[in-house]
Amino acid sequence: MKKIFKYCINQVAFYLVLIFFALITAAPFLYMIGTSFKGQSFIFEYPPKFIPDQPTLRNFIVAWTSRRFDKFFLNSVVVTLCSTISVVFLSSLMAYGFSRFQFRLKGFLNGSIRIFMMMPAMTLIIPQFILASKLDLINTLPGVILVYIAQNIPLCVFLLTGFMQQLPRELEEAAEIDGASPWEIYRTIIMPLSKPALATIAIFSSLGAWDEYVWAMTILNDPEKRTLPVGIAAFHGQYLTDWGVVFAASLIAITPIILLFIFMQKYFIKGIMAGSLKG
Amino acid sequence: MKKKLTPIFGIAIVFALLLCACGGMAVGKSAADESSDSDIVEPAEVVAEPVTITFWHTYNEISPENEMLMNTLIPLFEAEHPNIKVESLPVAYEDFRTKLFTSISGGVAPDLARIDIIWTPELADMGALASIDEEMSDFADYMDLLFAGPLATNFWNGHYYGLPLDTNTKLWFYNKALYDSAGITAPASVDEMLDQCQMLKAANPDVYYFATDGTWAWVVLPWIWSFGGDITDVEVTTATGYLNGAQTVAAFEFLKELYDQGCIAPVIMGSGIDTFAGYGQDVYASLDNGPWTFPIVESQFPDKEISISPFPAGAGGSINVVGGENIVLFQQSENKEAAMEFLRFVLSKKYQEKMAEVGQLPVRVDLIESDFIKNHEYYGMFLEQLKTSKSRTAHPKWSQMDEIITNAGQLILRNEKSAQEALDEAAAQIDELLK
Repeated sequence: MKKIFKYCINQVAFYLVLIFFALITAAPFLYMIGTSFKGQSFIFEYPPKFIPDQPTLRNFIVAWTSRRFDKFFLNSVVVTLCSTISVVFLSSLMAYGFSRFQFRLKGFLNGSIRIFMMMPAMTLIIPQFILASKLDLINTLPGVILVYIAQNIPLCVFLLTGFMQQLPRELEEAAEIDGASPWEIYRTIIMPLSKPALATIAIFSSLGAWDEYVWAMTILNDPEKRTLPVGIAAFHGQYLTDWGVVFAASLIAITPIILLFIFMQKYFIKGIMAGSLKG
Repeated sequence: MKKKLTPIFGIAIVFALLLCACGGMAVGKSAADESSDSDIVEPAEVVAEPVTITFWHTYNEISPENEMLMNTLIPLFEAEHPNIKVESLPVAYEDFRTKLFTSISGGVAPDLARIDIIWTPELADMGALASIDEEMSDFADYMDLLFAGPLATNFWNGHYYGLPLDTNTKLWFYNKALYDSAGITAPASVDEMLDQCQMLKAANPDVYYFATDGTWAWVVLPWIWSFGGDITDVEVTTATGYLNGAQTVAAFEFLKELYDQGCIAPVIMGSGIDTFAGYGQDVYASLDNGPWTFPIVESQFPDKEISISPFPAGAGGSINVVGGENIVLFQQSENKEAAMEFLRFVLSKKYQEKMAEVGQLPVRVDLIESDFIKNHEYYGMFLEQLKTSKSRTAHPKWSQMDEIITNAGQLILRNEKSAQEALDEAAAQIDELLK
């Protein structure tokens, strides 16, 4: 009896703590949703309210009908899809190489990938920009996509290599005896088995591309070619920012990413632990 | 295993390249289609051939200024100049510098940009700007047409590197209802302020007398100048004796006294609600701010009564800061002639008048006498304050100097250093920069 009582107390305390932290995490997000439905004169009301008294769709209408929001959305979709597909394909090949083959300079290549993971993107902006300008990629979406691919590959290769090293080799050996080439092994064995990890890197790299701001802001000059984060930032003024519109626009912008996460969640949790336990 | 490696990697590389090329090409094509008419770059000795000029600025995408620019003014210019197309790009203010400096170093600067006046010397010093007085044949005409103060902010090392586009300064905004409840009126002198603050607090214990949002130069300079102090000497050779001179120290000690007595809202240290919201909700009784305060407060608090008066005078007079923007022409521009046509257009009476309607204070002397300005509810007082307002130090390292001043202010208010101590150190740091 005492044991059950103690168990209950523990559980209650456990859930209270969890609920407390969940509220802290969710509060800014809920406030953002609330604010996006507020009229401009209610945004700074004090004390702040999560649920507006007179909800309005004005902010969403202003955001969506502002000069080019649909274009921004489309640009972001193109950039994210192209870079994510390329990242998944390229890094799975690289990870396969690193986890299954011995070759010269392997340690050096592997190490340099890890070094690139540690480099802050901001320090690379000017060299990247000069390179892009020499390649005539300024003000083009391919210029944005190529850099996103390069930025996302190191982390994805690192995660995937860890995951692939744990895959049992027996299947591949059996396939090899049956005469499968490395390419067939990659395609028919490695890739299907790596699904959880692939889902993880797909989420990582699409999130990275969808949210990236500094590079897109720097390289794109044509308002029609802007991606969502840059477009939303242009709603900020030097003195006046209509926060309702900014929040409404941000809410529209994060919806696809949230859907993607919900959709791939079960893979994501499995994949993120890849490489964390290595014996 | 090892010997199979080479073909595999060969295949991988070929596939990777193919994929990149396909992806890149598909996107590249559609992007090129969209902008086929905007990528025309041709030398334009005379503007006989169609050209596109690029104009970067920091107007909020959904602001009345941008609407006016996009829907009225640029179409007007393009109708008058059928061969020139203007491509306008709004950039968020915080990132404008990054984008501009990166683009300059990459060799793809815009033709024209509307920049904060304090950036002009820095960009001119880098060699990024074309000297307008040499490029523009009719530059001399503008010398008399424009206000001397804003025009002077374009002067660097013997040349003019831009033209003023709009100007502004700050006034004392006060909440009349709160002032009335305490029986006080707008302060004419800084000497009245401590007493006024106590009277206000006695009547409304939760109200702050004054609110401002930091300690950077834009905020503290009116106090320094009105107390008779300064940042450097006139020739900008040293800060010692100026930034740590008796008057500047007195100005900071006065701010500290106000802050310690609870007269200045904590938003000066970055906490609490922002100045406009506090003003609208009767929490902050006064602000020191620019003409944009009207549209901001009116949009959020439509019924608020807004009152203004000149900045309170100190031993040095009532002196505030000149703000505003210049329009500059970049050295890298390949369409200088066309760009200068647009320059002439933005300084025309028509453009300046239209922009005044959406809150931009004009820079043309002849517009002061116009009916619009004369009958305007608040432009008159701003233009009056502008007569005594001063510009921030014109120096390429101004941004760094501003940071040093900001930090000194924070140290003083946080009581980590005495005003004299903090300003001695700041003056020494600025002297290093000026060497």
